Amino acid sequence: MSDVVWNIGYGHFLVLAAVLFLIGVAGVLLRRNALIVLMSVELMLNAANVTLLAFSRMWGDLSAHTFALIVIAVAAAEAAVGLAIVVAVFRGRRNVDVDRLTTLRH
Amino acid sequence: MRAILCVIAVVLAAAAAPASAAGLVLAPCPPAVVTGIRATLPTATGVKCYVHRTEAEVDGTPAGAVDEINAEVALGDGRVATVDVSPQGRVRSTTYRHSDLVGSSGKGMALLFWAFALAAVAGAVFVITRRNLIAAVMGMVGSFVGIAAIYMMLYAQFLAVVQMLVYAGAIMVLFVFVVMILNRPEDEPVAPSGRAGQVIGGLAILYLVVQLIMMLTRVEPPNLETAMAAPPPIQQGYDWGSVGAVGTDLFGPGLFPFEAISILLLVAVVGAIAIARPLREGSDNAGEGVVDEPTRTRQEGSAP
Repeated sequence: MSDVVWNIGYGHFLVLAAVLFLIGVAGVLLRRNALIVLMSVELMLNAANVTLLAFSRMWGDLSAHTFALIVIAVAAAEAAVGLAIVVAVFRGRRNVDVDRLTTLRH
Repeated sequence: MRAILCVIAVVLAAAAAPASAAGLVLAPCPPAVVTGIRATLPTATGVKCYVHRTEAEVDGTPAGAVDEINAEVALGDGRVATVDVSPQGRVRSTTYRHSDLVGSSGKGMALLFWAFALAAVAGAVFVITRRNLIAAVMGMVGSFVGIAAIYMMLYAQFLAVVQMLVYAGAIMVLFVFVVMILNRPEDEPVAPSGRAGQVIGGLAILYLVVQLIMMLTRVEPPNLETAMAAPPPIQQGYDWGSVGAVGTDLFGPGLFPFEAISILLLVAVVGAIAIARPLREGSDNAGEGVVDEPTRTRQEGSAP
């Protein structure tokens, strides 16, 4: 037990990333506010980055840093477009509840 | 639903035993293998051999001749090497990885890891449980700060700084702006207003400007001779994860994705502006398709 607490290894980082990813998944699935859903997506992208960097350090390979940088840029673009969509939807219907956005339902 | 969970459990169980699935079994090392590894890696200690035999095991007893050995050894500089070696002790290939990274740094580092991991997880839980959107955004910022510290522990200094700038800076501001657009203004703002607020704000701005001027007067020009004489910064193990090391990778093999990102960001900026542009009567705007007809008339009816 004390070994797990005091000797931090790659497993700890991977488990932390998995926990963050699961919290993000729970946010996407459980919350209905579109803003919270977007924040949860950001959390999941960050968890993926933690995994990338842990394995990068483990194998001594720096190319994962490039990949993580690109993930951050994609996350920024996603946040910008996602928030623009949220604002546009809010203009039209005065709420951003994802369960009530059913206009496109077949 | 249950069936999906069962499938996932089976897949996880299959993934949990990769060594036995590949036919590699932990076995005592032949002396020739140990001497062969010591010859190529002088600092190797703690040699562990995983052997593969020509025939599968029968009832737990090994069968067939050994045809392949994967050895794991610890090196003196804190790395671990996986050595592909023949039974006669001839080393075919060696791959290196770093062993426990924070564990070797002592208990203080372990405490810091737990503190920042707790901050990251608590912030994430805050995001998905708060009803107040501003509280959720602040929880997200706390989570991102914790994750930036975790990056630092993984020797990714440059990415930790980028994380702070992009996530805790830019994306947080973006979210706060949208929350402010979506919500009505609060009845009692926290910041001091009136004459007292103006005085406090003026003093704060004056202090900042004075500090900035004092700092700028102390800036010295760079000593070019010593800067040019410094050794090249890229050396293995000495500045791993720094701006120089990441930049060398980014502008070498990662150049195409780097350039593609600039196009992506341009498209995202244009798209965000096009989508979020206000709907105006009589103009053919791109945002019109987002809203269906009845909703739009309702909105116009309720507008003052």
